[in-house]
Amino acid sequence: MTVHPYPAPSPSPLSRPGAGEPRRARSDRRRADLAETIPLAWESLLSNRLRSVLTMLGVIIGIGAVITMVTIGRGAQTQTESQLKSLGSNLLFVQSGVATTGSPVSQGAGSASTLVWEDARAIAASSPAVADVAPVLNRRVQVVFAERNTSTQVVGTTPSYVPVRDFLPLTGRFFNQAEVERAARVAVLGQTVVDALGLTPSSALKQTIRIQGEPFSVIGTMEFKGVNSFRDMDDQVFIPLTTMATRIVGVNSIAGIAVDSISASATRPDQMDAAQYQITNLLRLRHGIVPPRQDDFLIRNQADLVSASNSVAGIFTALLGGSAAISLIVGGIGIMNIMLVSVTERTREIGIRRAIGARSSDILWQFLIESVVLSLCGGLLGIALGVIASQSLNQVFGWKGGIAVDAVILSLLFCLGIGVFFGAYPARKAARLDPITALRSD
Amino acid sequence: MLQLEKIRKTYRMGEVDVPILHGIDLTVLRGDYIAIMGASGSGKSTLMNILGCLEQPSEGRYYFDARDVTTLSDNERTDLRNFQIGFIFQQFNLLPRLTALDNVMLPMVYAGYPRHERLERARQMLADVGLAERMANLPSQLSGGQQQRVAIARALVNQPELLLADEPTGALDSRTGREVMDLITGLHAQGLTIVLVTHDAQVARRTRRIVRIQDGRITADGPPAG
Ligand SMILES: Nc1ncnc2c1ncn2[C@@H]1O[C@H](COP(=O)(O)OP(=O)(O)OP(=O)(O)O)[C@@H](O)[C@H]1O
Ligand SMILES: [Mg+2]
Repeated sequence: MTVHPYPAPSPSPLSRPGAGEPRRARSDRRRADLAETIPLAWESLLSNRLRSVLTMLGVIIGIGAVITMVTIGRGAQTQTESQLKSLGSNLLFVQSGVATTGSPVSQGAGSASTLVWEDARAIAASSPAVADVAPVLNRRVQVVFAERNTSTQVVGTTPSYVPVRDFLPLTGRFFNQAEVERAARVAVLGQTVVDALGLTPSSALKQTIRIQGEPFSVIGTMEFKGVNSFRDMDDQVFIPLTTMATRIVGVNSIAGIAVDSISASATRPDQMDAAQYQITNLLRLRHGIVPPRQDDFLIRNQADLVSASNSVAGIFTALLGGSAAISLIVGGIGIMNIMLVSVTERTREIGIRRAIGARSSDILWQFLIESVVLSLCGGLLGIALGVIASQSLNQVFGWKGGIAVDAVILSLLFCLGIGVFFGAYPARKAARLDPITALRSD
Repeated sequence: MLQLEKIRKTYRMGEVDVPILHGIDLTVLRGDYIAIMGASGSGKSTLMNILGCLEQPSEGRYYFDARDVTTLSDNERTDLRNFQIGFIFQQFNLLPRLTALDNVMLPMVYAGYPRHERLERARQMLADVGLAERMANLPSQLSGGQQQRVAIARALVNQPELLLADEPTGALDSRTGREVMDLITGLHAQGLTIVLVTHDAQVARRTRRIVRIQDGRITADGPPAG
């Protein structure tokens, strides 16, 4: 038996480049480049385009929905914020009733009033950080003019309401202090009420309307203010507090006229804390509250309202985003399904790769990367969809909220996670195939 | 170079054990050129798969360069296949979605060679087997003989010490089969250790040693007659 030297010196049909070099040491061996597998994965996706797109559909819709929902949520939030800002940034609300975790929207209706007009006057007289104070007593009642009637919010207050809320008459005038003192039956109408009664801002003046059956003379209409998150500011009728208390509500406390709330404006925005502190102390003093007893009033400032409405909007956004995220999970399951099919279809390929030197970890990476490429492609298409959808929604609703960039980035990371998570099982299955069994299959 | 001691292989078919190899003792020397012959179902492919570290024997010892393959981990056996063994199959077993060039580069991908080195060497290998013009073709765009040449180039690209070929001419007509055998014989002349399986006496005659297998046992081992 002839044993040939290796490598042989004879002229050969096959050149053996590097045959003379020392063989790469086993420990030197670098693993297959991951970058190598990406074009392969891409190609395998392209080779079955329709299937790939159908598989990605779940992720596309999921990501698109997440981005659209978050953008909508944000848009609504910005909208609310700017409305709240329009109320005036130095506004404080004092509400009667014990502090509860209730929403700031409720005016404490039904709860016993603990605030009285005298409180408002005291605040105005002795709180240096407070500019103007307006007590407010509300009731939703029937307002009638000629054949028409409407149910609206009747607000009993004082002339300070105008500077406090920065809410001015459009036609005519607001009532004055003298009219408050003599409990005059005069009314100033919001524009929604003007409309509902079939009037116009100018024709409404000097008309007589009936509020809960009592005749009132219209002396002015208020400017348009629009709907804020609490109420339609234009769907209100303003009358003197005294008239409200005696003619409409008809309940007075021993301490004077009970009111639902007191609106106060700080002299400057940076005086908000001082104003809040002064009002709190004054009211505790007036109501005889010493620390172990709870306050019988509640002060909220603009910031509180913004943050409360933000937290509501945040929950809203989270809910929308969460339900969209569920569709993402469904998309992930779709990917897993297709990856399992792909592993089965390509068993022979796996066998060949194993036979020529692919470690099981190489196979694992190959399928994992394929699944990640699949989900990331879906993610990118989903982002495109989401951006288009939210842009057009922004256009329709006139929101200035831009695209939620953080949602886009999070979506991509989430896609990566989905690709890894739902690709892991199929990839492991592929990696664990016995080489010879895989090679024999067809 | 290779030493097999009392190798047995038993497959489990449901409840019954089906023995395929009944104690194979075989020594392959460096530079050997061996043809394994035997009836269909006699266990030739099974033996080749064990030689190629694709399959573990049920019993017995298998030494590859004094290393006991039966005690190696899966990764170690994979690396052995990658670096020291080249495989050629009857059905070529090329990856259908990859071009000839990419197929040849694949073992080097798993060995971790940089891309320029892979390209250079794969081109050289394909040129050596006479396929310089067909590098960009997919396997489906190549004839059987051409596909087998690609497979040979792929088997040799990592400079193995052992070439295993399970019926390399089985799917080819006699003329292309002869060309492929010319190529393989040339490799032997270069010093490569080769073990092939064949049913064809013409093919076997070109080797230096014929091992006959019958029902999982070696019945004859020696140089070809004539
Ligand atoms: N995974 C397996 N499970 C059960 N039986 C198997 C398995 N692989 C092979 N066999 C059986 O082992 C026997 C030998 O198979 P092998 O492929 O080694 O034969 P062979 O000599 O190569 O035949 P041929 O010349 O037809 O290729 C056959 O009877 C086959 O059915
Ligand atoms: Mg066989």
